Amino acid sequence: MTTKPSKPTTDSSRNDTVNFPLSLWDISLWLAVTTIILLATSELLSPHYGKTGILIQKRRLRAAALAVGLLFMSTVFIRIYQIIVS
Amino acid sequence: MNLFIDPSDPINQLFIMITLETVLVIVILIVAVIKIKKQPLKAKDEKPRFAKPKAEAPRRKPWRHKRGLPENVAYILLLMGTLALVTSILYSSSILAFIGLGLTFWGALLLFIRPTKYVKASLVDSTAVSSLTSLDQIITELNFKGKAVYLPPKHLKETRGGKLFIPSKKELIIPPAEEAAEEKVFLRNPKGIRLTPPGLGLANLYEKELRKNFTKVNLNYLQNNLPKLFIEDLEIAEDFEMNIEDNKIQVKITGSIYNDLCNEVRKLSNTCSSFGCPLCSSIAVALTRATGKPVLIENIEVSDDDKTIEAHYRLIEE
Repeated sequence: MTTKPSKPTTDSSRNDTVNFPLSLWDISLWLAVTTIILLATSELLSPHYGKTGILIQKRRLRAAALAVGLLFMSTVFIRIYQIIVS
Repeated sequence: MNLFIDPSDPINQLFIMITLETVLVIVILIVAVIKIKKQPLKAKDEKPRFAKPKAEAPRRKPWRHKRGLPENVAYILLLMGTLALVTSILYSSSILAFIGLGLTFWGALLLFIRPTKYVKASLVDSTAVSSLTSLDQIITELNFKGKAVYLPPKHLKETRGGKLFIPSKKELIIPPAEEAAEEKVFLRNPKGIRLTPPGLGLANLYEKELRKNFTKVNLNYLQNNLPKLFIEDLEIAEDFEMNIEDNKIQVKITGSIYNDLCNEVRKLSNTCSSFGCPLCSSIAVALTRATGKPVLIENIEVSDDDKTIEAHYRLIEE
């Protein structure tokens, strides 16, 4: 994980180009954590276990969990590709 | 910065991220639960619809769309997230970027996953009971004693339609296809009444949800897909089981939302024993479409705790 200390922007410290402070690897980790939380929530709220009392759109929650999971998997494949190429 | 948690430490970053997201999930669930609990109270406090307004009462403001609590929370999260993301780029702070990503993502998710619209089960029951009572009264008045037979699609003009036939005599009679296809309520040969089943709308809803025409599937398809439809997709029941044995089909439904309606329908003399409640009727319509054969509801049993309904259907060979 790449980390840069928080610094107030001054004229001397500011670069000409401002970059997003997270690398692909950081985002991949964030996606992994988010996917786990969403998938676990989706599974726990599943009406399959008789949980019909919580009235949120569970199908959409599951779709969102799967979408984020796929995004995470794509970052993993990019990483694997980078390793193979290098 | 002299913080208790060192933001430059990757483990601490992970910890902050997990804590933040878990807190957000809990907040979203609390918001959903509060929203659900608030609505019945509103209905309870509501004044009679046609009550005369008092002279000094202030005039009602014109109706306009009000944002709900989840919507407001979502917009706040989105705003805070965007601010955090912009600040993170300006200050090159990865912690702020994580916070911004989290807030923006959960804000967008909260807008995407809304609380589902719902109506009280008692409201649905009250709406359906009157029409079923009327049907029961008509059949009692006509003194039609036969068991209802669900007619297959070949007896109908349109496949998405559905009809049941109640003969006047206490014997199993199926009207010929030409006679049944006519748009008549009262048939003369054989004598009986031809009605729209109370579960036709539900059966059409099943087809819509499964995106399948039941006339193009077989019984195994229904056996495999109806449990998922009842439990997960429509959340009608807590458990659903279908057993097929030759021309007899047994359906076991546990924890149905129609339990109260079924109890009410059972009090009517003809309905439950003849063509069933809307739920049992909808399954009969689905069965007759899938098999192409007339279907009869042999009997409906209810467990002592009123939680499980066991319906027995029979396919009739023409």
